[in-house]
Amino acid sequence: MNQNLIPPQPRALIAEDETLIAEELTDRLSRLGFSVIAAIDSGEEAIAIAIRERPDLVLMDIRLKGEKDGVQAAKEIRQHVDVPIVYLTAYSDQLTVNRAAGTDYDGYILKPFHRLELQSTIEVAMKRHAIRTTRQQP
Amino acid sequence: MFLAFGLFIIACGGTHFMEVVTTWTPVYNLSAAAKVFTAVVSLATAATLPFTVPRILALVRSQQVAEKLRASGERKEALLQEVHHRVKNNLAVICSLFYLQSTQTEDEKTVQVFRDMEGRVHSMALVHESLYGSETLASIDFAEYARSLAEDILSSHGGRRVPVEMNIQLERVTMSTDLAVLCGLILNELIANALKHGFPNGASGEIELTLRRAPDGNCRLCVRDNGVGIPGDVNVNTSKSLGMRLVRSLTRQIRGSFELVKVDRGTSANLDFTVDHP
Repeated sequence: MNQNLIPPQPRALIAEDETLIAEELTDRLSRLGFSVIAAIDSGEEAIAIAIRERPDLVLMDIRLKGEKDGVQAAKEIRQHVDVPIVYLTAYSDQLTVNRAAGTDYDGYILKPFHRLELQSTIEVAMKRHAIRTTRQQP
Repeated sequence: MFLAFGLFIIACGGTHFMEVVTTWTPVYNLSAAAKVFTAVVSLATAATLPFTVPRILALVRSQQVAEKLRASGERKEALLQEVHHRVKNNLAVICSLFYLQSTQTEDEKTVQVFRDMEGRVHSMALVHESLYGSETLASIDFAEYARSLAEDILSSHGGRRVPVEMNIQLERVTMSTDLAVLCGLILNELIANALKHGFPNGASGEIELTLRRAPDGNCRLCVRDNGVGIPGDVNVNTSKSLGMRLVRSLTRQIRGSFELVKVDRGTSANLDFTVDHP
C-alpha cells in the first residue's frame, strides 16, 4: 500500500450477518494491518457506527439483519462519511450487482473469497479512495 | 350457440312487438307465426345449452389454470434461487471455519490441509455461484464454471506471484448441476496436483486446461503441465494420496475414465466422461 496516502494502521468496520464469516474477516484484516473497530450485523447499526467512528474502510455484506440492507446502508454512510466501501456478498445475480452499481463503491468481492482476492480488492479500494481524496484537496 | 341465442332474443322482441301491433290491428295470423318461430328458436337454444355451457366453462377454467401454473412456476424459480443462495452461503461459512481452524496452528503441513479442504468446498460453492448467470437452475455451462474455478485455484495458490501461466481452452458444454459439482471437484484436484507436484518450490511453467466435446456427447477434460513430470512409480489406480483417491472415486461416480500420462515435457491428466444433458 502507498504509505503516503493510507494511514499506518487503518481502521476497518465490518458489516456481515454471518458471525463466522465476520470472524474470518476480522482475522484476515488484522493480518493485513487493519484494526477492526467492530463487526456488526445490521444496516442501521453499521450506519450509526460508521458516522460516529469514521473508519478508513467499510466491508459491507449486502444481506444484513434489520430493515436496511447493505446497499442502503452504504448509500447513507457515503452521504455522511467519505470512506471506501467494499461489498462482500454471496449474491452475484445481475439485479444485485446493478443495484450496488447504483451506489458509489470501491470494490466488490464474492463469497466465498480467496485470500489474495480479498487483499487485492481492499488495496485497490484504499488506493482509489486515497487518490480521489488528494485530488479533491490539493 | 351464440347464433341460436341471438335469434332467440330477436324472436322474443319480434313477438312482443307483434302483440302490441295486434292490439290496434288484428293480424292474428302474423302474431301466431311470430310466436311459433320464437317457440322453435327458444327450444333450439335450450337444446344446445347443455352441450356448449360446459365447453365455455372449461375454456375459462383452463385459462385460469394456465395463469396459476405460470405464477407457481415463477414462485418455484424464486424459491430455488433462494435455496442456491443459502447453500452457497453455508458453504462460505464452512470455508470460514476451515480458515479459522487453520489459524490455530503454526505447522505448515496442517495449514495446508485446511487450505486444501477450503479449496474443495470452494469448488462446490462456485457451482451455485455460476448458476446465477445461467438461464435455468438445473443445468450449467461447465466451460464458464471451469474457467472461474481454474482462476480461483491459481489465485489461492499465490495468484500473480506464482510463476505458472494458465492456458485455458474450453468448448461450451452444458451439464446438470450434479455432474458439474463432481467434475468441479475432480478438476480442483487435478489443477492443485499439477501446481503442487508439477512445479515444486516455485518453479515456473505452464498449465494447459482444455475441454473438448465430441458430437456424441463424449467429453475430454485435460489438465496438462510442462513441469517436472510424474515419477515412474505413481500408479493412479493404487496411489494412496487423498487427491488421487478422490479423483478415482469421483470418476467412478460419473461413469468416466481417468488416466495420468507422461508427455514429452511434464504430465497430462485426462478425464473422459459423457454429459447427461443434451
